[in-house]
Amino acid sequence: MSYQHLIIERHGPVGWLINNRPDVRNAMNNAMRDEFAKAWTELNEDPAVRVIVHTGEGRDFQTGVDVGELATDGVGMERYRQSMEDFDVHFTSWHQDVWKPVITAVNGICCGGGFHWVADADIVIAASNAQFFDPHVSVGQVVAIEAIGLMKKMPVEAVMRMAFMGKYERMDAERALELGMISEIVDPPERLRERAQELGETIAKNSPAAMAATKKALWGALEHGLTDACKAGAQHLVSMWGHSDQNEGPMAFAEKRNPNWKPLS
Amino acid sequence: MTIEIHHDGPVGWLIFDRPDAGNAIDAQMFVDLEQAWAELDADDTVSVIVNTGNGRAFQSGLDVVQLAQDPEALKASSRQTKRAELRLTAWHCGVTKPVIAAVNGICAGGGLHFIADADIVIASSNAAFLDPHVSVGQVTAFETIGMLKKSPVESIARMAYLGRHERITADRARQLGILSEVVEPEQLRSRAQDIAETIARHPLDQLRQLKRQLWAALEVA
Repeated sequence: MSYQHLIIERHGPVGWLINNRPDVRNAMNNAMRDEFAKAWTELNEDPAVRVIVHTGEGRDFQTGVDVGELATDGVGMERYRQSMEDFDVHFTSWHQDVWKPVITAVNGICCGGGFHWVADADIVIAASNAQFFDPHVSVGQVVAIEAIGLMKKMPVEAVMRMAFMGKYERMDAERALELGMISEIVDPPERLRERAQELGETIAKNSPAAMAATKKALWGALEHGLTDACKAGAQHLVSMWGHSDQNEGPMAFAEKRNPNWKPLS
Repeated sequence: MTIEIHHDGPVGWLIFDRPDAGNAIDAQMFVDLEQAWAELDADDTVSVIVNTGNGRAFQSGLDVVQLAQDPEALKASSRQTKRAELRLTAWHCGVTKPVIAAVNGICAGGGLHFIADADIVIASSNAAFLDPHVSVGQVTAFETIGMLKKSPVESIARMAYLGRHERITADRARQLGILSEVVEPEQLRSRAQDIAETIARHPLDQLRQLKRQLWAALEVA
């Protein structure tokens, strides 16, 4: 598969998905939107890829929809009306049912629609110069899906504040860390990719099948109340019983060796 | 007994007591826990329950080695897991009184149940939290689901996927709101007793009603 607006790389067990429109701060045009759907699926279906890292080429991570294209191509947001009304969208790992751990590594600015990939990742780390803001209301747009996703995962006031302050205020990486929106700041910023790779390799030491079932259980918890989430979680938990990794893990531990996990099929 | 119970004023203490095994839950503790919660909840002299551990660790989850040697106990625990009907924590056992977890050291894997299901959590400065399930080929579900209903989700997901390769420190856990107070190890029990006595100044009926309402809020999707 070849891509015009994304870079796909593989380093050991870690698959990389890199936004590649650095001249427009990695804003997403229509073509890039289609490429996201293919790229997530490609990495998800590759058994050699155990963890996926998502970052941006150039100074910034992602700045949402390409407003330049919207303003000039005569179609504008109308292009997305049907898919939005149906919530039939395909540009994040959550939309594409990726059940491998996904790390978003935020370089520079993440704003507006860029929050989709913060909300829909499992783990988020950021360079020390990262900045977060949501300019939707400052350019006459509604923010919904990405802010809703974030509100499910972190203190709500901070998300509301960003939504209403629009382009007039930015959150820095320190505050994002305090709030638990991200879990790690990488300084200097140039070390971001190196650290993301390291983190990916560490996670790749764990059982791929156990992580996939865990991911289903945890995302299920965002859909259900506590008791129902536990009941749904029990199904994912039990799905692992009888899987070879479930015996291999304790055996390797007892024998003080690295486990040989079965790849995801 | 694998659980030590004692009383101090209006406070009932439920203390994990398998210090040589990191307080891991063996077949006996599986049974003792349910009885201990029921006993303290039914005791009219107890208004608030504090849960902590003897020795260096708080709780390190199921003692898989011991359970493997006891097929009947293993079967029972498997059945409860499958049906999401575990009887380990205050929440599982329907305890109606406020519960404070006082984390005195490592809290790992299934030990996280007792954090997720407590009302208030405090910790000693040497406490640490990790979930090694995926590193030994197991799924983590109930305890991390409970925690992510109450804390920033990314931090819990990170703990789940990093497995035994990373720990959350007591200070970071406080920053994230997983717990509310970090104290020096030798002060942990006296501080827990203080907090419990403060809460116990309120009428028990009111505390019970409040607890019921707040936990009900977590049942909404």
